[in-house]
Amino acid sequence: MRLNLTAVSSPSPIHCQLEKMIATHVSKPKKVDKKKRRCLAIIKADYNVTESETPTIFLAILNAGLCNGLTEETLLAKATAHGKVSQVLMLASKSYCFLKCASIADAESIFLAMHNVSTIGQHGAVCYLSYVTGIPQLEAVENDWNKPLPKGLILLTDFITEEEESALLKAIGNDSRSNEGNMKNRRVKHFGYEFVYGSNNVDSTKPLECRIPTACDFLWPRFRQAAAENDLQGLDWTQPDQLTVNEYEPGHGIPPHVDTHSAFLDPILSLSLESDVVMEFRRGSECTPLLLLRRSLLVMSGEARFDWMHGIRPRHLDWLPTATVSLTMEPRRKRTSLTFRRLRRGPCHCQFPTLCDTHQSTAPKLLMDTLAKQAVSLEQQNVHDVYNKIANHFSDTRHTPWPKVSDFLHSFDPQSIVLDVGCGNGKYLCCNSQLLAIGCDRSQGLLGVCNSRQQSVFRCDCLQLPIRTASMDGCISIAVIHHLASSERRLTALREMARILRPGGRALVYVWAKEQRRDNNKSSYLRQNKAVNKERTTEQAQRQHQAAQLEHKINPPHVSLPVHTNRTEFQQQDVFVPWKTKDAEHTTFLRYYHVFEEQELERLIADVPEVFLIKSYYDQGNHCVIFERAVS
Amino acid sequence: MKLSTYNFLTSMAIKGVKVGYPLKLTINKKEVVETEFNATFVERLLPKLDWSAIYSAAQVVELTDDIPAVQPENIAENEQLMQKLHHLLFEIDVLDGQLECPETGRVFPITDGIPNMLLNEDEV
Repeated sequence: MRLNLTAVSSPSPIHCQLEKMIATHVSKPKKVDKKKRRCLAIIKADYNVTESETPTIFLAILNAGLCNGLTEETLLAKATAHGKVSQVLMLASKSYCFLKCASIADAESIFLAMHNVSTIGQHGAVCYLSYVTGIPQLEAVENDWNKPLPKGLILLTDFITEEEESALLKAIGNDSRSNEGNMKNRRVKHFGYEFVYGSNNVDSTKPLECRIPTACDFLWPRFRQAAAENDLQGLDWTQPDQLTVNEYEPGHGIPPHVDTHSAFLDPILSLSLESDVVMEFRRGSECTPLLLLRRSLLVMSGEARFDWMHGIRPRHLDWLPTATVSLTMEPRRKRTSLTFRRLRRGPCHCQFPTLCDTHQSTAPKLLMDTLAKQAVSLEQQNVHDVYNKIANHFSDTRHTPWPKVSDFLHSFDPQSIVLDVGCGNGKYLCCNSQLLAIGCDRSQGLLGVCNSRQQSVFRCDCLQLPIRTASMDGCISIAVIHHLASSERRLTALREMARILRPGGRALVYVWAKEQRRDNNKSSYLRQNKAVNKERTTEQAQRQHQAAQLEHKINPPHVSLPVHTNRTEFQQQDVFVPWKTKDAEHTTFLRYYHVFEEQELERLIADVPEVFLIKSYYDQGNHCVIFERAVS
Repeated sequence: MKLSTYNFLTSMAIKGVKVGYPLKLTINKKEVVETEFNATFVERLLPKLDWSAIYSAAQVVELTDDIPAVQPENIAENEQLMQKLHHLLFEIDVLDGQLECPETGRVFPITDGIPNMLLNEDEV
């Protein structure tokens, strides 16, 4: 077993202090026995692993595991200081874990040094160890390595020599012209074209000044030769025009992703330099690890390129299978990867729609007719019925008025009359007490909330406002007309608002934008996706995960629309957005939304003859317009 | 439903209805909630209200002794009338009753203080 302890993160200074303080207060034998018995009973129930009276090579750490904050690195740093470890078994959401030691002598040495001494337990608590008869056989962990690789995935080992490796590293390191950036968990450099992480695409009209360094030229004939030898001539082996260099320090990684289909052709080639790393390939619940050896070339083509996501876990250690099937660990070292790709410059025509951005963005156009025909029943089932069912929970999540809506309401003279079309829980009705604010909504449930707050409301549909013509000084409709299922209906709603305004009266309309970023800034909606923002996962992985979850959870709605994954970018304009209730059943309701493209709302306003546009703007993932009824 | 809200409601969205205003109000249950009188508020609001519907509301709640059928001139100077209007428009809350379209007789129920003006698909 090779273990480089310098690569293992050492405990923090605070932790060390705590340890000193607590180490003098180890538990008394009676208390230790009691605790040990309790923990062993849990382990026996979970995995049928029992205590051994005599020393074995298997140690259980009884009261510390992944679920109470122990990491593999911390455990190993402690244990390997006293003896050799050949396997660590940390189990998800368990408060215990296991060590397999190289020999009984190693196990005894570790036991003596750590049991009732080492403070790796929760909040610096002392940990308890036991010899056990074995460790749980996690077949899944080991079997991952026996699975066949995804179709189209090939690893060509010793693709370049060590001399060629250092020449490449030198050429890339010296190239100061390249476009360089720091991702959360790695350093990147682009040559040829910049890969823009915001849009997850390249701009083919903006080639970079720094082309792929000529030091790479020896690779091109070698790629073609490899293609011939591996029967891959059907793919595009023309010289790549885009190179992304990723530098990973130990602990770095890249979240699971698929290279944007429409951005690059097939195949994608990746050269590993400086050290080995384990890459994981995922499709739905399938996961296959592959050890990318130093100086190997990874070829991702076909299914592996289009339908599988690939990623590297941000860890300091990789677990690898050994000849004897058990796992061993390999500390990570600095690794550099060179990914060579060719721009597609057009839509993708692959046979793998799940992760295909082209497929996702073009398919819904066919839906427009269906939506228009079924608008009434769709809105009934996937808007009105849902809001009624979620009214109270929805209301609890809507309390703070959006500042710009509040500003608009304060822009009216005192004693103006303002109608809130789709007032929800009425949070804007009390925004400016100088106004006579009246609200209306479809949802009886939400109107009940307003009424209990002494607000003036009535029930109606926004397509037919039961309000006198030209009687209102102002009107707001916040996040409402994106629930209407055809362009005609959305226009009708705007016409109704125009009708009830007096000449000179003004209305403010907010709709959800398809585009959830502006100037590379994420909307607050996306910013709340902490897992993605911290690069613990990707939007693609969340989409795959949700698709698998929803499959058997919801009754299929009568109109087939894609289900949006919350707090990710919209893939289509007409979608179902899930609402998960907080009750024990975690019922998921699907709300229909038409998210607006840029200028779409302005174009609708242009079709309302009585009004003119005063202002349009983008506010936290919403398109917004203010319009005024003309004085005729 | 406050009677100020009533002043704006119409049934004109019903197919074939020309004006649909004022709606015929029936009150089964109401409550009076005292609110602070603000003369300026009522005064500035008046031009935006329809007097015929103010008067029909006054008839229903039997306040016609206080509120005339035709809007008097210089109304702002009549403090007592302004107070009565304030009471009529903002203090009377209809909890249960109905609104009826003057042309078709279509009834819109008021339940738990909320008028249901929703129309069926075949009515529009």
